[in-house]
Amino acid sequence: MSTHRLFRFPKPAWMNNANTRTFGVYTAGALFSLGFYILIDIANWSKSAMNASDPAVHITFVDWIPGICSALGMLVINSIDKSRLSADSFSYSGNGVAWKARLVLFLGFALLAGGLAGSVVVLVLKYVVTDYTWPTMWLGAGNVVANALVMLSSAVLWVAQNMEDEYTYNLAL
Amino acid sequence: MAGIKTIIGLSFVLAIGFLLVILSATLFTNKNYLTLLVVATYVVAPLPNWICGRAANPDDFMESSGSGVIDLGRFLTGFFVVMGVALPTLLWHSAQIVGAAAAMSVVGGLLIYGTIISFTMFFQEEQEF
Repeated sequence: MSTHRLFRFPKPAWMNNANTRTFGVYTAGALFSLGFYILIDIANWSKSAMNASDPAVHITFVDWIPGICSALGMLVINSIDKSRLSADSFSYSGNGVAWKARLVLFLGFALLAGGLAGSVVVLVLKYVVTDYTWPTMWLGAGNVVANALVMLSSAVLWVAQNMEDEYTYNLAL
Repeated sequence: MAGIKTIIGLSFVLAIGFLLVILSATLFTNKNYLTLLVVATYVVAPLPNWICGRAANPDDFMESSGSGVIDLGRFLTGFFVVMGVALPTLLWHSAQIVGAAAAMSVVGGLLIYGTIISFTMFFQEEQEF
Protein backbone atom coordinates (compact mmCIF):
# COMPACT_ATOMS: atom_id res chain seq x y z
CA MET A 1 0.00 0.00 0.00
CA SER A 2 2.69 2.48 1.00
CA THR A 3 4.52 2.25 -2.31
CA HIS A 4 1.43 3.39 -4.19
CA ARG A 5 1.32 6.63 -2.29
CA LEU A 6 1.27 9.82 -4.30
CA PHE A 7 2.16 12.51 -1.79
CA ARG A 8 5.31 12.93 0.23
CA PHE A 9 3.61 13.18 3.61
CA PRO A 10 1.72 10.10 4.74
CA LYS A 11 -1.73 10.26 6.22
CA PRO A 12 -1.25 10.61 9.99
CA ALA A 13 -1.81 7.44 11.93
CA TRP A 14 -4.59 8.82 14.10
CA MET A 15 -6.68 9.34 10.98
CA ASN A 16 -7.22 5.61 10.69
CA ASN A 17 -8.06 5.17 14.32
CA ALA A 18 -11.53 3.84 15.07
CA ASN A 19 -11.92 6.34 17.91
CA THR A 20 -11.28 9.27 15.60
CA ARG A 21 -13.94 7.93 13.30
CA THR A 22 -16.48 7.60 16.11
CA PHE A 23 -15.67 11.12 17.25
CA GLY A 24 -16.13 12.37 13.70
CA VAL A 25 -19.62 10.88 13.44
CA TYR A 26 -20.63 12.40 16.79
CA THR A 27 -19.22 15.75 15.67
CA ALA A 28 -21.17 15.57 12.43
CA GLY A 29 -24.38 15.00 14.37
CA ALA A 30 -23.59 17.90 16.68
CA LEU A 31 -22.86 20.26 13.80
CA PHE A 32 -26.06 19.26 12.00
CA SER A 33 -28.03 19.81 15.19
CA LEU A 34 -26.49 23.25 15.59
CA GLY A 35 -27.43 24.19 12.04
CA PHE A 36 -30.95 22.82 12.41
CA TYR A 37 -31.60 24.70 15.63
CA ILE A 38 -30.25 27.94 14.19
CA LEU A 39 -32.92 27.55 11.52
CA ILE A 40 -35.55 26.91 14.21
CA ASP A 41 -34.14 29.90 16.10
CA ILE A 42 -34.68 32.34 13.27
CA ALA A 43 -38.21 31.03 12.76
CA ASN A 44 -38.96 31.36 16.47
CA TRP A 45 -37.28 34.75 16.78
CA SER A 46 -39.19 36.01 13.77
CA LYS A 47 -42.53 35.53 15.51
CA SER A 48 -41.40 36.55 19.00
CA ALA A 49 -41.54 39.87 20.82
CA MET A 50 -37.82 40.39 20.20
CA ASN A 51 -38.47 41.03 16.52
CA ALA A 52 -39.07 44.78 16.78
CA SER A 53 -38.92 45.62 13.10
CA ASP A 54 -41.43 48.37 12.40
CA PRO A 55 -42.94 47.20 9.15
CA ALA A 56 -43.01 43.69 10.52
CA VAL A 57 -40.49 41.42 8.80
CA HIS A 58 -41.12 37.72 9.18
CA ILE A 59 -39.59 34.72 7.56
CA THR A 60 -41.66 33.11 4.85
CA PHE A 61 -41.41 29.81 3.06
CA VAL A 62 -38.64 31.29 0.91
CA ASP A 63 -36.33 31.31 3.93
CA TRP A 64 -36.90 27.60 4.49
CA ILE A 65 -36.07 26.45 0.94
CA PRO A 66 -32.22 26.62 1.28
CA GLY A 67 -32.33 24.68 4.52
CA ILE A 68 -34.55 22.01 2.99
CA CYS A 69 -32.21 21.73 0.00
CA SER A 70 -29.15 21.39 2.23
CA ALA A 71 -30.74 18.73 4.42
CA LEU A 72 -31.89 16.74 1.38
CA GLY A 73 -28.43 17.00 -0.16
CA MET A 74 -26.83 15.75 3.03
CA LEU A 75 -29.26 12.83 3.15
CA VAL A 76 -28.50 11.90 -0.45
CA ILE A 77 -24.71 12.16 -0.09
CA ASN A 78 -24.50 10.09 3.03
CA SER A 79 -26.91 7.42 1.81
CA ILE A 80 -24.44 6.41 -0.88
CA ASP A 81 -22.18 3.49 -0.12
CA LYS A 82 -18.74 5.02 -0.62
CA SER A 83 -17.07 1.80 -1.72
CA ARG A 84 -19.26 1.75 -4.83
CA LEU A 85 -17.56 4.90 -6.07
CA SER A 86 -14.29 3.22 -6.89
CA ALA A 87 -15.99 0.14 -8.32
CA ASP A 88 -14.92 -0.41 -11.89
CA SER A 89 -17.65 -1.34 -14.25
CA PHE A 90 -16.19 -4.74 -15.10
CA SER A 91 -15.97 -5.84 -11.50
CA TYR A 92 -19.71 -5.44 -11.18
CA SER A 93 -20.38 -7.08 -14.52
CA GLY A 94 -21.31 -3.94 -16.36
CA ASN A 95 -24.13 -2.72 -14.21
CA GLY A 96 -22.61 0.72 -14.14
CA VAL A 97 -22.84 0.96 -10.37
CA ALA A 98 -20.00 3.47 -10.12
CA TRP A 99 -21.62 5.64 -12.77
CA LYS A 100 -24.97 5.63 -10.96
CA ALA A 101 -23.26 6.37 -7.66
CA ARG A 102 -21.45 9.33 -9.16
CA LEU A 103 -24.66 10.66 -10.69
CA VAL A 104 -26.60 10.46 -7.42
CA LEU A 105 -23.63 11.92 -5.56
CA PHE A 106 -23.48 14.80 -8.01
CA LEU A 107 -27.17 15.50 -7.38
CA GLY A 108 -26.49 15.49 -3.66
CA PHE A 109 -23.58 17.91 -3.90
CA ALA A 110 -25.62 20.14 -6.20
CA LEU A 111 -28.42 20.24 -3.62
CA LEU A 112 -25.95 21.02 -0.83
CA ALA A 113 -24.15 23.78 -2.73
CA GLY A 114 -27.49 25.10 -3.97
CA GLY A 115 -28.71 25.31 -0.41
CA LEU A 116 -25.71 27.37 0.69
CA ALA A 117 -25.88 29.61 -2.37
CA GLY A 118 -29.63 29.99 -1.95
CA SER A 119 -29.24 31.11 1.64
CA VAL A 120 -26.78 33.80 0.52
CA VAL A 121 -29.28 34.84 -2.16
CA VAL A 122 -32.03 35.15 0.45
CA LEU A 123 -29.71 37.15 2.72
CA VAL A 124 -28.74 39.57 -0.03
CA LEU A 125 -32.05 39.99 -1.82
CA LYS A 126 -34.36 40.01 1.16
CA TYR A 127 -32.31 41.65 3.91
CA VAL A 128 -29.22 43.47 2.57
CA VAL A 129 -30.66 45.17 -0.52
CA THR A 130 -33.70 46.38 1.41
CA ASP A 131 -31.44 48.03 4.04
CA TYR A 132 -32.58 46.22 7.15
CA THR A 133 -30.45 46.83 10.23
CA TRP A 134 -28.82 44.27 12.49
CA PRO A 135 -31.47 42.59 14.64
CA THR A 136 -33.58 41.98 11.58
CA MET A 137 -30.53 41.01 9.56
CA TRP A 138 -30.10 37.95 11.81
CA LEU A 139 -33.00 36.34 9.95
CA GLY A 140 -30.83 36.19 6.85
CA ALA A 141 -27.41 35.78 8.44
CA GLY A 142 -28.57 32.91 10.62
CA ASN A 143 -29.84 31.18 7.52
CA VAL A 144 -26.37 31.36 5.94
CA VAL A 145 -24.73 30.12 9.15
CA ALA A 146 -27.19 27.23 9.40
CA ASN A 147 -26.61 26.11 5.82
CA ALA A 148 -22.84 26.41 6.22
CA LEU A 149 -23.04 24.23 9.35
CA VAL A 150 -25.08 21.58 7.54
CA MET A 151 -22.47 21.59 4.77
CA LEU A 152 -19.63 21.31 7.31
CA SER A 153 -21.43 18.47 9.06
CA SER A 154 -21.81 16.66 5.76
CA ALA A 155 -18.09 17.07 5.04
CA VAL A 156 -17.13 15.76 8.48
CA LEU A 157 -19.43 12.76 8.07
CA TRP A 158 -17.98 12.05 4.62
CA VAL A 159 -14.40 12.11 5.92
CA ALA A 160 -15.35 9.94 8.89
CA GLN A 161 -17.03 7.34 6.71
CA ASN A 162 -14.07 7.20 4.33
CA MET A 163 -11.85 6.69 7.36
CA GLU A 164 -13.91 3.67 8.23
CA ASP A 165 -13.23 2.06 4.87
CA GLU A 166 -9.47 2.32 5.35
CA TYR A 167 -9.76 0.94 8.85
CA THR A 168 -11.83 -2.05 7.80
CA TYR A 169 -9.49 -2.67 4.91
CA ASN A 170 -6.43 -2.78 7.14
CA LEU A 171 -8.22 -5.08 9.52
CA ALA A 172 -9.43 -7.40 6.79
CA LEU A 173 -5.89 -7.79 5.50
CA MET B 1 -18.08 -1.88 47.78
CA ALA B 2 -17.46 0.90 45.32
CA GLY B 3 -20.73 0.01 43.58
CA ILE B 4 -22.89 1.32 46.40
CA LYS B 5 -20.99 4.58 46.58
CA THR B 6 -21.27 4.98 42.83
CA ILE B 7 -25.03 4.41 42.92
CA ILE B 8 -25.50 6.87 45.76
CA GLY B 9 -23.35 9.53 44.06
CA LEU B 10 -25.05 9.10 40.71
CA SER B 11 -28.53 9.31 42.18
CA PHE B 12 -27.47 12.43 44.06
CA VAL B 13 -26.25 14.06 40.83
CA LEU B 14 -29.43 12.96 39.06
CA ALA B 15 -31.57 14.55 41.78
CA ILE B 16 -29.59 17.80 41.52
CA GLY B 17 -30.08 17.77 37.75
CA PHE B 18 -33.83 17.31 38.03
CA LEU B 19 -33.95 19.96 40.77
CA LEU B 20 -32.18 22.49 38.54
CA VAL B 21 -34.43 21.82 35.57
CA ILE B 22 -37.66 21.96 37.57
CA LEU B 23 -36.52 25.10 39.40
CA SER B 24 -35.68 26.73 36.08
CA ALA B 25 -39.29 26.13 35.03
CA THR B 26 -40.97 27.36 38.20
CA LEU B 27 -38.62 29.83 39.90
CA PHE B 28 -38.92 32.82 37.63
CA THR B 29 -41.74 35.30 37.25
CA ASN B 30 -43.11 34.04 33.99
CA LYS B 31 -43.77 30.44 34.82
CA ASN B 32 -43.56 28.41 31.68
CA TYR B 33 -42.66 24.81 31.43
CA LEU B 34 -40.78 24.97 28.15
CA THR B 35 -37.50 24.17 29.89
CA LEU B 36 -38.82 20.73 30.79
CA LEU B 37 -38.22 19.86 27.14
CA VAL B 38 -34.55 19.53 28.10
CA VAL B 39 -35.32 16.57 30.33
CA ALA B 40 -37.16 14.85 27.49
CA THR B 41 -34.23 15.52 25.17
CA TYR B 42 -31.61 14.05 27.47
CA VAL B 43 -33.76 11.05 28.32
CA VAL B 44 -34.15 10.32 24.61
CA ALA B 45 -30.45 11.00 23.81
CA PRO B 46 -28.96 7.60 24.82
CA LEU B 47 -31.72 5.66 23.03
CA PRO B 48 -30.40 5.79 19.40
CA ASN B 49 -27.03 4.34 20.37
CA TRP B 50 -28.72 1.62 22.35
CA ILE B 51 -31.20 0.68 19.64
CA CYS B 52 -28.71 0.83 16.77
CA GLY B 53 -26.12 -1.06 18.80
CA ARG B 54 -28.59 -3.90 19.08
CA ALA B 55 -29.65 -3.66 15.46
CA ALA B 56 -26.12 -4.06 14.05
CA ASN B 57 -23.60 -6.80 14.48
CA PRO B 58 -20.21 -5.15 15.09
CA ASP B 59 -18.23 -8.36 14.74
CA ASP B 60 -19.24 -8.77 11.13
CA PHE B 61 -16.53 -7.20 8.99
CA MET B 62 -17.84 -8.42 5.67
CA GLU B 63 -21.22 -6.82 6.23
CA SER B 64 -20.75 -3.16 5.37
CA SER B 65 -24.35 -2.17 6.04
CA GLY B 66 -24.01 -2.89 9.74
CA SER B 67 -21.71 0.03 10.48
CA GLY B 68 -24.10 2.38 8.72
CA VAL B 69 -26.76 1.67 11.31
CA ILE B 70 -24.26 2.28 14.13
CA ASP B 71 -23.19 5.53 12.49
CA LEU B 72 -26.83 6.62 12.32
CA GLY B 73 -27.19 5.98 16.03
CA ARG B 74 -24.08 8.00 16.83
CA PHE B 75 -25.18 10.81 14.56
CA LEU B 76 -28.55 10.97 16.31
CA THR B 77 -26.86 10.92 19.71
CA GLY B 78 -24.71 13.90 18.77
CA PHE B 79 -27.85 15.59 17.45
CA PHE B 80 -29.78 15.12 20.70
CA VAL B 81 -26.91 16.18 22.96
CA VAL B 82 -26.46 19.48 21.15
CA MET B 83 -30.25 19.86 20.99
CA GLY B 84 -30.36 19.88 24.79
CA VAL B 85 -28.08 22.94 24.80
CA ALA B 86 -29.50 24.61 21.70
CA LEU B 87 -33.16 24.44 22.69
CA PRO B 88 -32.94 26.58 25.87
CA THR B 89 -30.58 28.96 24.10
CA LEU B 90 -32.99 29.62 21.27
CA LEU B 91 -35.90 30.02 23.69
CA TRP B 92 -33.79 32.56 25.59
CA HIS B 93 -32.86 34.32 22.35
CA SER B 94 -36.51 34.85 21.45
CA ALA B 95 -37.29 35.99 25.02
CA GLN B 96 -39.63 33.13 25.87
CA ILE B 97 -37.59 32.17 28.94
CA VAL B 98 -35.14 34.32 30.91
CA GLY B 99 -31.39 33.77 30.67
CA ALA B 100 -30.99 32.32 34.16
CA ALA B 101 -33.66 29.71 33.43
CA ALA B 102 -31.87 28.76 30.23
CA ALA B 103 -28.53 28.38 32.03
CA MET B 104 -30.07 26.35 34.83
CA SER B 105 -31.85 24.00 32.47
CA VAL B 106 -28.70 23.47 30.41
CA VAL B 107 -26.62 22.64 33.49
CA GLY B 108 -29.36 20.40 34.88
CA GLY B 109 -29.78 18.63 31.57
CA LEU B 110 -26.04 17.99 31.27
CA LEU B 111 -26.03 16.56 34.80
CA ILE B 112 -28.92 14.22 33.94
CA TYR B 113 -27.25 13.09 30.73
CA GLY B 114 -23.91 12.62 32.46
CA THR B 115 -25.61 10.48 35.07
CA ILE B 116 -27.24 8.26 32.47
CA ILE B 117 -23.99 7.86 30.52
CA SER B 118 -21.80 7.15 33.54
CA PHE B 119 -24.41 4.74 34.91
CA THR B 120 -24.30 2.69 31.72
CA MET B 121 -20.48 2.93 31.68
CA PHE B 122 -20.13 1.70 35.25
CA PHE B 123 -22.50 -1.20 34.92
CA GLN B 124 -21.80 -2.26 31.36
CA GLU B 125 -18.59 -4.14 32.13
CA GLU B 126 -20.35 -6.63 34.34
CA GLN B 127 -22.33 -7.84 31.36
CA GLU B 128 -19.27 -8.67 29.31
CA PHE B 129 -18.17 -11.61 31.43
